Amino acid sequence: MKRQVPLVLCFVFGIAMIFTRFSPHSVSQWIYEEVISWVLIIGPFALVLATVTLIQTHTTRIRRRTEHWQYSLVVFAGLTIMVVIGIRFGPQNSIFEWLYNNVQLPMDATMFSLLAFFIASAAYRAFRARTFEASLLLITAVVVMMGNVPMGDFIWNSIMSWSPWADKVSEARQWILDNPNLSARRGIILGVSLGVISQSIRIILGIERSYLGGGD
Amino acid sequence: MNMDRRIVFILVALAVIIPMLLSVNLPVSVSEPTQKFYDYVEALPAGSTIMIAFDYGPSSLAELNPMAKALLKQCFDKDIRVIGITLVVDAPTLVSDLIQEVAAEKEAVEGEDYVFLGYRPGDVQVILGIGTDIASVYDTDYNGTAISEIPMMQNITNYDQIDLLVDFASSDTIESWIIYANVQYNQKIAAGVTGVIIAQMFPYLQTGQLVGLLSGILGAAEYENLVGAPAKGMQWINVESFVHLLIVVLVIIGNITYFIHRAREE
Repeated sequence: MKRQVPLVLCFVFGIAMIFTRFSPHSVSQWIYEEVISWVLIIGPFALVLATVTLIQTHTTRIRRRTEHWQYSLVVFAGLTIMVVIGIRFGPQNSIFEWLYNNVQLPMDATMFSLLAFFIASAAYRAFRARTFEASLLLITAVVVMMGNVPMGDFIWNSIMSWSPWADKVSEARQWILDNPNLSARRGIILGVSLGVISQSIRIILGIERSYLGGGD
Repeated sequence: MNMDRRIVFILVALAVIIPMLLSVNLPVSVSEPTQKFYDYVEALPAGSTIMIAFDYGPSSLAELNPMAKALLKQCFDKDIRVIGITLVVDAPTLVSDLIQEVAAEKEAVEGEDYVFLGYRPGDVQVILGIGTDIASVYDTDYNGTAISEIPMMQNITNYDQIDLLVDFASSDTIESWIIYANVQYNQKIAAGVTGVIIAQMFPYLQTGQLVGLLSGILGAAEYENLVGAPAKGMQWINVESFVHLLIVVLVIIGNITYFIHRAREE
């Protein structure tokens, strides 16, 4: 029974939602709108689940004194302070905004900014024209990188101003994005979409049951 | 030959700091996707409504805030009404600050020229919910004012009254907007995304599912140029220019040393 009920619900709602997509009838549209409003209610439970999982994970770390367990205390301190202030006084409270603007925002921005340093270091160490394919990738990357900034146009045009190839760096970058890149991406999108459709059918028909947890 | 990574880090830091101090200004040309975006907004008559989804957090603020700011300026200048929302949980404070800053500069009135509805959990649920009834998703705006009491929301129920949806995104939310808002509700969509995910967007631009596209800090600089309000985008694209140049130079040096080393081994 524990497994049959979710399977039946999944089948009924899956078929119903496919049906509503193709039927403009008022009953069909009413079902669609009703289900959407249910989904809006169910959605926030994901936040609750995420919070519970976070608390469980870090409680376990503290209890077992795993490596760097002290950082889990920082997680709890941050979580408690923001939740208490946010719920009690609202997100427009001056303390909440101060913490956001002066703690969270610079920390997030710093983490992302560090990427520039690591990308530069990794590019210097790993980007080698070892094979024909690697050389092709290297040339493409250089063209796109330089076409992505005004410096690329500036250097190219300064050198090639006398030739018919002036102003061609941005065009080359755009061609790469519009042709080889677009073709490859479209292939990936089609492949993923077909996979999603087949997986959805398997789930609706109860063939794929891994979402219920455990095996069959 | 392997350069100490700390030297690379110092070079990157210098490539960022020096151009900022010298205020270098390189000319920025406008790419076709940016021009399409601008033209579409320009063609909207006064009184039109644009919904802007600010789907990015503080980590992508540097790339996406300048383009969002330029678009808001254009909208307020043209008397286009703006509905702001976000699908990202840590975005509301920064979005609220941004909208209020531009609104104060352009003397736009909250509730009449713009409204920020804030965050609601669930990407797809929110996108589909707006398609049926905005009030079913957002019963109040970010300040807690009931949506029924907001003057500019009186005649806006769902996508039918929204002339353009713009998603400023640092992740795959744009694909959710395309799949559910564009395909299901024929909502016109334009996007501004971080440089990291720009390559994924071109198929949608080519099919017309995106009416325009801004690409990272370059897109922001181009848009600021078009709007006639050069700001952070223009400043930072020049900084980025030097970092890109440095990386290309490092890659060339790395390859030269690699080939010298290989020739010696042979």
